[in-house]
Amino acid sequence: MSSRKEEQIVQAVEDQALFTFAHYDPEAAERIGYSDYSYWGSTTKIFLKNKTAIFLLVLMTSLITFTIIQPYLPNQKPPTKIHVDPVTGYQLRNQKPSKEYWFGTNVIGQDLWARIWSGTRTSLLIAIIVGVWEVLFGIFIGAVWGYVRQLDAFITEAYNVMNNIPNTILLMLLAYIMRPSFKTMVIAMCATGWLGMARFVRNQIVIIRDREYNLASRCLGTPTSRIITKNLLPYLVSVIVMRIALSIPGTIGWEVFLTYIGLGLPIDIPSLGNLLNEGRQVMMAPSLRYQLIFPAIVLSIITISFYVLGNAFADASDPRNHY
Amino acid sequence: MMRIVKKLIPIMLLAVMLLAGCTPKPEVPEPPVSKLRESGDVYGVYSGEITTINYLVTSTTAEFSVAANTVDCLVEYDNLGIVRPALATEWSVSDDGLVWTFKIREGVKWFNHKGEEYAEVTAQDWVDALKYTFNPDNASHTANISYSVIKNGEAYYTGEIDDFEQVGVKALDTYTLEYTLEHPVPYFLSMLTYCPFMPANGDFLAEVGDEFGTDHTNVLYNGAYIFSDWKHQDERVYVKNENYWDADNVHIEKIVSKYNKEASTLAPEMFLRGEITGAGIPTASLDEWMNDPERAKMVRPGSTSFYSYFYAFNFDPNFPDEYEPDNWKLAVNNRNFRKAIFHGLDRMAAVMTMDPYEPERMLNNTITPKNFVASGGKDYTLIGDLEKLTTTESFDKDLALEYRDKAKEELEGECTFPIKVMMPYSTSGTAWSNEAQIVEQQLEALLGEDFIDIIPVGFPPSGFLNATRRAGNYALQNCNWGPDYADPETYTEPFYPDGTYNWPEKATDPAYLLDDGRTVYEKMVDDACAEVVDIENRMELFAAAEAYVIEEAWVIPFRVGGGGYLATKLEPFASPYAPFGVADLQYKGQIVMEKPMSTEEYNAAREQWEKDRAAALAKEAAGN
Amino acid sequence: MLKYSFKRLSQSLVTVFIVVTLVFLLMRLLPVEGYFGDGYDKLTPEQREAILRKFGLLDPWYIQLKNFYASLFKGDLGRSIIYRPDVPVLNIIKLKIPYSFAFGIVAIVLSLTAGLAMGIHMAREKGRIWDRIWSSYIVFINAVPSAVYLLFIQLYITNIKLFRLPMLFDRHNTISWILPAISMSLGGTAGYAMWMRRYMVDQLNQDYIRLARAKGMSDRQIMVKHVLRNAFVPMAQYLPASVLFTISGSIYIESLYSIPGMGGLLVDVIQRQDNPLVQTLVLIYSVLGIFGLFLGDILMAVFDPRIRLEKAGGAR
Repeated sequence: MSSRKEEQIVQAVEDQALFTFAHYDPEAAERIGYSDYSYWGSTTKIFLKNKTAIFLLVLMTSLITFTIIQPYLPNQKPPTKIHVDPVTGYQLRNQKPSKEYWFGTNVIGQDLWARIWSGTRTSLLIAIIVGVWEVLFGIFIGAVWGYVRQLDAFITEAYNVMNNIPNTILLMLLAYIMRPSFKTMVIAMCATGWLGMARFVRNQIVIIRDREYNLASRCLGTPTSRIITKNLLPYLVSVIVMRIALSIPGTIGWEVFLTYIGLGLPIDIPSLGNLLNEGRQVMMAPSLRYQLIFPAIVLSIITISFYVLGNAFADASDPRNHY
Repeated sequence: MMRIVKKLIPIMLLAVMLLAGCTPKPEVPEPPVSKLRESGDVYGVYSGEITTINYLVTSTTAEFSVAANTVDCLVEYDNLGIVRPALATEWSVSDDGLVWTFKIREGVKWFNHKGEEYAEVTAQDWVDALKYTFNPDNASHTANISYSVIKNGEAYYTGEIDDFEQVGVKALDTYTLEYTLEHPVPYFLSMLTYCPFMPANGDFLAEVGDEFGTDHTNVLYNGAYIFSDWKHQDERVYVKNENYWDADNVHIEKIVSKYNKEASTLAPEMFLRGEITGAGIPTASLDEWMNDPERAKMVRPGSTSFYSYFYAFNFDPNFPDEYEPDNWKLAVNNRNFRKAIFHGLDRMAAVMTMDPYEPERMLNNTITPKNFVASGGKDYTLIGDLEKLTTTESFDKDLALEYRDKAKEELEGECTFPIKVMMPYSTSGTAWSNEAQIVEQQLEALLGEDFIDIIPVGFPPSGFLNATRRAGNYALQNCNWGPDYADPETYTEPFYPDGTYNWPEKATDPAYLLDDGRTVYEKMVDDACAEVVDIENRMELFAAAEAYVIEEAWVIPFRVGGGGYLATKLEPFASPYAPFGVADLQYKGQIVMEKPMSTEEYNAAREQWEKDRAAALAKEAAGN
Repeated sequence: MLKYSFKRLSQSLVTVFIVVTLVFLLMRLLPVEGYFGDGYDKLTPEQREAILRKFGLLDPWYIQLKNFYASLFKGDLGRSIIYRPDVPVLNIIKLKIPYSFAFGIVAIVLSLTAGLAMGIHMAREKGRIWDRIWSSYIVFINAVPSAVYLLFIQLYITNIKLFRLPMLFDRHNTISWILPAISMSLGGTAGYAMWMRRYMVDQLNQDYIRLARAKGMSDRQIMVKHVLRNAFVPMAQYLPASVLFTISGSIYIESLYSIPGMGGLLVDVIQRQDNPLVQTLVLIYSVLGIFGLFLGDILMAVFDPRIRLEKAGGAR
C-alpha cells in the first residue's frame, strides 16, 4: 500500500495539472468508520415493527388524551352530580346505559360515563407520579445498593427495616394524621413503593456486576458512577421497562385494595379503585353488572396496553435483538 | 281456589305462631307443643366473627347473641314484649322501690359444652357475676350499666370501698336473691335481661380465671342451647339443651353457622341453592330479586333496630379556620337558620339509597324510635307534643324557604354568606359517603348555594368519632345513639350537659337558660328523671323534653338502624321481643318454615303482631 | 460463605429488633379510641381507664417497651387484647398457620410447575401460536382484577353439577380443597411463566448458546444445561421468601372459601389495634422476610457461581 502511495505521489508531482491534494477531513474520516447503529434508533425501529404494540400505543395515547380533554367536550356531565328525576324528585339510581347516560348511572344516580373518565384521570395521575418516583428513586437506590459493596450492609439493613414494617400501619397513621386525600394517597404509595424496584435492580446488578467487562472497566479506573450508568443500567433497560409497565397497573391495584380497607380516596374523588369497589358490591346482580364491567374494561385496557407495550419495548430495547 | 289458599297462608302461619308463642301451656295434655311446631335445623353463614363469649365483659350485639341463646336471665320477654318469669319464678319490690327480691327457679342446672352437668343454678350465681363485673381488673364494658343502679356499685368499682358485702346484691338463701338499688329505678326489670345481670357460677369463674369466655369450653350454659362447638373464623354450632326448663318452647334442634368473610356477597346465592336457611339481600341486588317473580316471593323486609340516627347541629364548633367556625357559631345560634335546614333536609332522598322499596319505615321523626316503650296503652312517640312530630313529615320546602328568608334577614350583616357547613363522614364504606353527597346537593339545591355551602369532609374509620364529633370538629353531622335500658331517659344522654354530641348547653339564646344556671332542657330532664312513681307522668315529662330538642331544631331526627331485606325461612315474630337487651337475638320459640315469607305475607303478619302487641300492652297496663 | 452467613444473620437480629421496636412505637401513635370498639360513648371514664390499664397502655411508652421485651425473652408473646381477648397470641396463630401453609405450598408447587412449563414452552415457541395463547392467559390474569375473576370462578365452577365442588372449604371434605388451591396458583402461574419466558428469551440470544449449538448440543441439552439454569437464577432470589411467606396466607381466597388461615390477619389486627398480635406477627414476618432474602442470596450464588456475596475480590 505504501509503495502505491508513493507511486501516486510521484505521479501527482509529475502531473500537477491533473491532480490536486486532497485535504484531510476528520469528519469524512469519521464517516467511514461510522456504523449507522444507534441504540435508541434501533430500539425504535424494532418497536415500530410490532403492529400490536403500535396499535396499543395509539389506543393508549388517545385514551390518555381523551381523559384529559373529556370534561371540556360538549354535553359532559360533572362526575359527582347526582341526577334527580324532575317529576318525583327521587334520584335516578341504577339507570341502564342510555342515550342520556351513556354508561348508565350508579346507585345514587351519578353519571357513570363522567365518573369513569374522571376516575381514570385520577388513577393514571397517581400511577404516573408514583411510577416515576418508583423508577427514579428505586433505580438509584437499587444501583448503589447493588454495586457499592460498602453500602450493601447499610442499605440491606434499611431495606429490611422498611420492608418489614407493615404498610397498613404506615397508611393508617398517614390517613389519621392527614385525612384521606389525593396527597395522602400519593405520599403513602411513594413512601414504600420504591422498595420493590430497588431490590429488583439490586438483584440484577449483583448478577452482572462481577462479569469480566466490568472487571475490565474497573481495572481501567472507570469511576463507579460511570460503570453503573454506562455498563450496568443499559443492560437492564429491558427488564426495568417491563417492571415499569407492570408498576402502573400495580399501583392502580393497590389503590383498589386501599379503598377496600377504608384508607383510599374519599368517594367524592372518583378513581378506578373507588369505581371497582362500588361495582364489586353490585356484582351479584347481573342487571347491574355494567357498573363493574365498564370500569373493569377501562382498567383492563390500561393494564393490557402497558403490559404488552412493556413487553414489546423490552424486546426492542434488548441490544441482542438489534441487527 | 289457589288464590284463596295463598291468601290464607299468612293467616294460617300466624295462627300457628300465636298458638305456640303466646298461649300458656294447656293443662289438658293436647298434642304437645313441640309436635305441633316441628322445625328443621338452621344453617347459616356469618361474616362478623365474635371475639369472645365472655358475656360479663363484652358490649357488642354479635357477642350477646351467644349468651342470649345459652344463658338465661331472671326474667325474659315473650314474643309480644311482655315480661315473663324465667329463672326467677316470682319477684317483689319494696314500697320505696329500692329492694327487689327474686325467687330463683329450682332444679335448673349449669352444663358444660358437652352437655355434662356442672352444678345447680343458685342465687349466689348472680352475686358472683356482679362481683366479677365490678372488678375493674376484668375491664367489663358493661359494668357501668349495673354499677350505676346497684347500691355502692360505683364506689366498689372505683375502689372507694373494698368490702363487697356492702354492695347491694345478696343471696339470702339458695333460692332467694335480693338487689338493693342506689335510687329507685322504674325500669329495673328490663335491665335484668342485659348481659351484666346474667348469672355465672363462682366456682367455675375461679377455676378458669382469665380464660373465662375465651372459647366454648370455658363457659357454662343454662339456657335453651348449648354452644357445643366454636372454631374461630370457621364454624359455630349450637345444640338444643334437652334439660332446659322450658324445652317445650325450643323447636330448632341445631344451629350451624359457617364463617365467611364475603358472606354478604355469597349468602343470597347459597340460599338459592338451598345450602343455608336465610340470607340478607344487599340493597344493590334488591331490584334483581324484586323483579324476578319467583325470587320476589322469598324476600321480605328485615326488622329495624332501636339505634337512632339524627343530624346534630354543633353549638361548640371547634374546626379549622378554613371552615369559618365563628361564622358558624353565629348561624347555628339562630333558630330560623336551624329550622331552615331542619325543614329543608329531604330525609327520604337520603334513605332511598338504603331502602328503595319501603324507605318510610326507615324514617324516624323523633329521637326515641317507635315501639320502644309504651305508657297507658299508647306508644311513647305518640305522647304529648311528640304526637305532632311523629305524624308530620319534617321535610317541607315552603316552610324551609320561609325560615331561610327569615334567617337571611336576621343574619345579614353579621354572617358572611354562603355559610360554610362542615359535614364529616367516615370513609369506611360507600353508604355514608353516598349519603353525604346526596344531602349536600339536595340542601344546596333547595336553600341556594348563596345561602349555605355544605362541605363533606372524609375521615378515616380509625379514630373517626374522636376526630370529629367528640372533638366538636363538625358543623352538621349524622350521629347515632342506641338505648341502654327500656326507658326514654336513655335517649336524653347525648343532649344533657357533659354529653359529647352537640353541646346545646353552650347555645347563646337567652331563652334556653334558667336563673339557677341550669338550661331549660336540663331542668326538664331532671324533673322527668325524678318522677319514679307515676310512670305515665314520667313518660309525659320525657316526651315534652324530647319534643323541645326537636322543636328547637338542635337536631334533625333522621332514621333508625337495621332494616334491609331478608330471604329467610326463619319465622319472624315468634322469637322473644324487646327493644333493649338480648331478647330478639334468641332462637327460642322460632321454627324454620317450609318456605320464606314474601313481603306481603310479612307485612300482614306484622300488622297482626302489632295489633296483638297493642292488646297485650293494654292488658298489661290494666293489670297493673 | 460460612463467615458471610454468620455475619448476615447476626446483623438480621439487629434489623428485627429495630423493626419490632418501630412497629411497637407506631402502634402507640394510633388514636386510643381504637381500643374501645364501638362502645366508647357508653363507657364511663373509670371504665376506660380500667380497660387501658388491663391492656397495659397507661404506662409511659418506654416502660411498655421494657415490659414487652422482658416477657419476650421469657418466651411469652402475650395475650390478644381485642381480636380474641385473653387468648394467648401463639394459640391463635398456631391454629391458623397450618391451613395457610398447606394451601400456600400446594399453590407454589402448582404454579411453579405450570408456570415454568408454560414459560419454557412460550420461549421455545416464541412468536408462534402457543406463545400467543399462553400470553393471552397471562394478560388476562394480570389485567382483570383478581377480586373479580376469583369470585366468578367460585360461583360458576361450583355450580357445575358434574364436579360437585362445594362452595365453601370444609376441612373434613378433601374435594373442597381443590378449587381454592387452583385459584391460588393462577396468579403465580402467570407470574412465573412471564418471567421465565423473558429470561429464557434473554438467554437464548446469548453467544454461549450459539456456541453450544455450534458444538452440536441438542436443543434439550441446551435447554436444561444452559438456558434453564441461567434463567432460573433471578427467580431463585425470590423463591425462598415466597415459600416462607405462604404462612401469611392469601387474603382474598381465604375469605372467599372460608379457610380459617392467616390471610388478612395482620391487616385485620392492625385495624383493630390488637398490639400483642401485631407485634408477634411483625416479629414472625420480619424474621421470615430477612431470612428469605438471605436464603435467596445463597440460592442465587449456588445457581450462579459467578456471583460472589462476600466482600472478597476487587469490587468496591
